[in-house]
Amino acid sequence: MKRVTWVTAVLVLLLLGGVLMGLAMGPVRLDFRSVESAVLMHGDASTRILIWDLRAPRVAAALIVGVCLGVAGHLLQNSTRNPLGDPQLFGIGGGAAVVTALAMAGILRVSTWGLFSLSVLASLGCAAAIAFFASRQGLSPARMALIGVSLSALAAAIVTGILAAARVFGAQPLNFIGGSFANRSWSDVVPALPFLALGLLIALPMLGNMNVLGLGDQVAANMGAEPARTRAVAIAASGILGGAAVAVAGLVGFVGLLVPHISRLLVGHDVRLSFLISLLLGAVVMLYADQFARLAFMPSEVPVGMISALLGAPLMIYVARRTRWN
Amino acid sequence: MELKLKDLSFDRCGITVLEGISATVPGSGLTCLLGTNGTGKTTLLRILSGELKATSGGYFIDARNAAALSRKELSRYFSVIPQNAPVPPYLTVGEMVGLGRFRPNASLWWHLTAADRVVVNECLARCLMTAFKDRRLDELSGGEQRRAWLAFGLALEKNFLILDETLDGMDWLAKRTFFQMLKGITSKNRGILMASHDLEMVAEFADRVIILSESRVIFEGSPDSNLSRFISAPAS
Repeated sequence: MKRVTWVTAVLVLLLLGGVLMGLAMGPVRLDFRSVESAVLMHGDASTRILIWDLRAPRVAAALIVGVCLGVAGHLLQNSTRNPLGDPQLFGIGGGAAVVTALAMAGILRVSTWGLFSLSVLASLGCAAAIAFFASRQGLSPARMALIGVSLSALAAAIVTGILAAARVFGAQPLNFIGGSFANRSWSDVVPALPFLALGLLIALPMLGNMNVLGLGDQVAANMGAEPARTRAVAIAASGILGGAAVAVAGLVGFVGLLVPHISRLLVGHDVRLSFLISLLLGAVVMLYADQFARLAFMPSEVPVGMISALLGAPLMIYVARRTRWN
Repeated sequence: MELKLKDLSFDRCGITVLEGISATVPGSGLTCLLGTNGTGKTTLLRILSGELKATSGGYFIDARNAAALSRKELSRYFSVIPQNAPVPPYLTVGEMVGLGRFRPNASLWWHLTAADRVVVNECLARCLMTAFKDRRLDELSGGEQRRAWLAFGLALEKNFLILDETLDGMDWLAKRTFFQMLKGITSKNRGILMASHDLEMVAEFADRVIILSESRVIFEGSPDSNLSRFISAPAS
């Protein structure tokens, strides 16, 4: 328990540091006092606008997407006993990507709330498809990954086709495919909150039962843990969270795959504890990746997915070498 | 408490896997289920644990008809250690046996109580696994892993412990140790039903045997030293 407390404390401190960095740093650099007074709605109007209307929504978006991806990956990996569980790798975000591409191409004309709802629905559809295909002949990790990668590739092809056919070129599709938090306002972030809350709320009661899924379905069922129901709810929660993440930031890779592995290395096997750490670590990784993406190459910036992959790939190789697969 | 199987049959895809099985499994002592490969031992155990439904007939737990019970209700009576029990990554032996104290849909804040820890330590001791408590499962030998699973099954504290061909792959000494342990953990309130191929060990340690051949029970009773007379290669 002590280890969890320490890890949680460190992650919370990192989060606070990342939030402060996100608010203070940029083309206009602010000192701590200016940030503090602007956050408390004091100080001059331009600083308040800079903080509240430009930087805070971006920080909030990074936090929300990080939580969504970290938790979605954690739920997928633990409920399917698959180390490759990741909303992007399993193709769960593919449905949301198609919906967002349709909106970018002007084919789908809906409000932001409508876009979020359709994205989440499309992701849930993909999650249901994976669960259906995978459950027909047992939950082989390789089969699930193959089905997921195929769905993901299919969605990527459809997205590319939609954007090319509608002649959507430039920064917008690049930021969508690579993932980005640039120019996010509160109206792009707030609609994600109910879906984040819903995903977390339906996942939380399953965490206890998910602890015994690692013992195999036969044993879990014998303990009364209802593996099929537990897994279905966990995959549905991943669909909701994965869809919301794509609607906010586009396709951000590696976070959902990497974060649960590091969480387990940090706090061990207990699904409840690694859930908490995945939630915090997802937010930390996303927040710092975004700071790097927007600050390292000022005045221009790079897609955040590029940074998460650059940091995530070597880390994942390290984790894969350290982890003993079952 | 005892299990009474009455005229239990099971068909899969038009093929009869079990036919008219009637037998009694006492609620104490070690009962072994013998038979060559493909005679339906695993299927019978899966029916008893509620994983499969009998096509006709059924079984009773004392006077209660198991067909009227949901799988969740059946899980109150049986601990099942399957044939190919997985080796959960990340878990230590103590953590896995501790999971045996978990109850489904427990609170998010569920944790082992002091009483649970006593039970876990007792189960580890009875399965000679105390020294391995902090070792990861994937670091243990096959025989040690089976003993860890047995300790887990004990920690569940159910009336019947069902073991499906748990001894496959173990050497002679490991098998003997395992059987001795099984004899040690049987009690008035706990019956063990184990599917096995090992005639020599079964003859020495089992209190009762049920022998299946070609989907039927061909012998039920106390074992003797000449069990091999019942076991023949299945007809091709």
